[in-house]
Amino acid sequence: MDNTVVVSTPPHVKSKRTTRGIMIDVAIALIPSAIAGCVFFGWQALMIILMSVFACVATEFVYYFIANKGFSNKCADAKAVCGRWLKQFDFTSVVTGLILALILPTTAKWYEVFYEVIIGAVFAIAVTKMLFGGTGKNLVNPAAAARVFMFISFSISTYTAANIPALNFSSGIFTDSTNLWWLLSSNGGNPETKVTVLDLFLGTGVAGCIGETCKVTIILGYIYLAVRKVIKWWQPLLFIAVFGFAAVFMSGFAYIATGGYIFNMELFLPHILSGGVLFGAVFMFTDYTTSPKGIYGQIFYYVISAILVAVLRYLTKLEVTSFVILFINLFVPLIDKYMIRKPFGYKKIKKVRKEGN
Amino acid sequence: MKAVKGKYYFGGVHPHDMKSISKDAALEVLPASGIVAISTSQSLGKPAVPAVAVGQEVKEGELIARADGSISSDVFASVCGTVTEIKTETGANGDEQYVFIKPNGKSDKCFMPPLSDPTADEIKARIKDAGIVGLGGAGFPTAVKVAPRTPVDTLIVNGAECEPYLTCDHRLMIEKTDEIARGARYIAKALGVSKIIIGIEANKPDCIAAFEKYDDIQPVILRKQYPMGGEKQLIYVTTGRKLGLGKLPADVGTVVQNVATCYAVCEAVELGKPLYERVLTVSGQAVKHPKNLWVKVGTPVKDIVEYCGGESVAPKKVIQGGPMTGVALENYDVYTHKTTSGVLLLSEKEAAADEPTPCINCGKCADVCPMHLMPMNTAFYSAAGDFEAAGKYGQTMACIECGACEYICPAKRPLIQAIRKTKAALRNKK
Repeated sequence: MDNTVVVSTPPHVKSKRTTRGIMIDVAIALIPSAIAGCVFFGWQALMIILMSVFACVATEFVYYFIANKGFSNKCADAKAVCGRWLKQFDFTSVVTGLILALILPTTAKWYEVFYEVIIGAVFAIAVTKMLFGGTGKNLVNPAAAARVFMFISFSISTYTAANIPALNFSSGIFTDSTNLWWLLSSNGGNPETKVTVLDLFLGTGVAGCIGETCKVTIILGYIYLAVRKVIKWWQPLLFIAVFGFAAVFMSGFAYIATGGYIFNMELFLPHILSGGVLFGAVFMFTDYTTSPKGIYGQIFYYVISAILVAVLRYLTKLEVTSFVILFINLFVPLIDKYMIRKPFGYKKIKKVRKEGN
Repeated sequence: MKAVKGKYYFGGVHPHDMKSISKDAALEVLPASGIVAISTSQSLGKPAVPAVAVGQEVKEGELIARADGSISSDVFASVCGTVTEIKTETGANGDEQYVFIKPNGKSDKCFMPPLSDPTADEIKARIKDAGIVGLGGAGFPTAVKVAPRTPVDTLIVNGAECEPYLTCDHRLMIEKTDEIARGARYIAKALGVSKIIIGIEANKPDCIAAFEKYDDIQPVILRKQYPMGGEKQLIYVTTGRKLGLGKLPADVGTVVQNVATCYAVCEAVELGKPLYERVLTVSGQAVKHPKNLWVKVGTPVKDIVEYCGGESVAPKKVIQGGPMTGVALENYDVYTHKTTSGVLLLSEKEAAADEPTPCINCGKCADVCPMHLMPMNTAFYSAAGDFEAAGKYGQTMACIECGACEYICPAKRPLIQAIRKTKAALRNKK
């Protein structure tokens, strides 16, 4: 035996899975949605995806380079820093870039809005992730934060602002449940605006963001992530189920003006298939860093955020998924702190009443 | 009895069991070494006190150190020879006092008289006199276990062997089925229980089939899940009883004994042989001929590795015990104990020596924890030096240190290290 043996605490064998491997899995799961976006929206979409991913990775590199004093006088230092960056590169910025691009619309030409995309990507990586300490330390989902940042910063721009409010609803009509009902009912409506559930599912003829329109590819991504055990299979399902019922419940109030509350389950599918809810449920709410770690905390998190999305969507008539993600992310540390699992075999100790005289 | 299926518990990991490396190697006896060094700390509790002097001739099975206190066990000479030295050395488990014996080539034995049809008290006394400890790994004196304070109705024999690589219990169950069954019956008699359950993991169908032939022993097929052989998990999956924190198995009416312990009890009762040798597995992809060996307590690990043909490639890690809970060795100059269940030479490909990367809060450690704890919280707070919070939010004191959390961690965080640090800090505070 030579001196190369390693002495450490057990366990001495570990699973082959790494952070990098998980992030590559997430990126793979996002690829079908990206392809669908390119098919629907042409190479407009492809350019936005490429810009966003490139800007995210470049931002991470530049931040790392500066933070690790790569700008010293010696060339060797810079080389060493680059080497270390490559070694620790874990594909999180690629995933962030992909998600950010997939929740952007394609209404403007890419060269008209490229600065918006790049500023958004820089914000996502530099401000929400790296400033807080890099991978695993960010408080909020970088892509959601960047999306909201873009919405607020460029609210004059037709590109970002006009589409965020009615992100994926053709002319905002889908959020209004009475209209939704009218659209889907077979006996009425303008054939030009008529959108069927199947259209929503396939993403054909629906305006929206690059990756959010085609639900088939999102479900493919979900299956891949669930089979690879990157996410727990029940998490998006729980979110979608609670969201669907809450949304149907909320949209019942719209009928009050015309005659009374109706709990109309026919709206369930249109609700869950419209907008960015499905995409958010599979790829954004399930983000490890910004979701709770314990099982009770996770159930609480998905239920609460689903109800929030449903309620706010009804009240604001906007696509609110990104806002809700940001909002609920801030509560995750609290959830983690107060929703602790009880150890196996734990029994609540009954308070013994003192026998007083 | 027909085997039944065990229950499922939430948590656990599924490491590649790697048992095929040494599973088919029949038990062999390791030839005597040039010197043996027997530690006086062979069990939990206080070390035994040496009862021999330097220069004294001892026979195989002769008492060389006497138990000190109730949770301590007697230590016996494993070879016939001369005591050359008694000194403290640093081994895998820290500083321990060792009795060095130079074998003289003879095989004079010094056994206790065999018992035929013993009573419960005779069996209890024999288990104590033979210095038998739990051979599963913890080394808890069996004499204490067979004298529970609360009434017991079930004896659970632990044949799970859930650690990857290790096959010593597997071989023992195949080759010494009758002895294990008889040993289990002796323990059951000492406890005054009639129900004997043997839990065997599903990856050992030959052992399950072997134990189906007895009418009084109920084999239970355990899922392939690590940790299955942990006391709390085993009691839950075989009987459905939940063992609370800080409770002993006897508090829920059970006693758990390893198969190797049962075998030792059988030998002690029927032959009068004290515990001074055991089966251990030599495995890993860096060892030339993986084997399951009868090894005398105190044998240098160097001799064991040499007998197995030495290294085939340079090992990345050398482990005493199993890969999930064992101790990594710095060199081969250590000696086996009663509780040493394996010597593993892991090649570069098998051994985990990755640099840790930042925690991504995936929560996988909490998902796999068989005790339903939150190891990431322990790691987080103990890194900040706040052990109080680490114990509170991570529930660290309930940890059984099975290593499942660190096994699954995609960021390769040193969780067990953090947990041990926290436990030590909390214990010192008390």
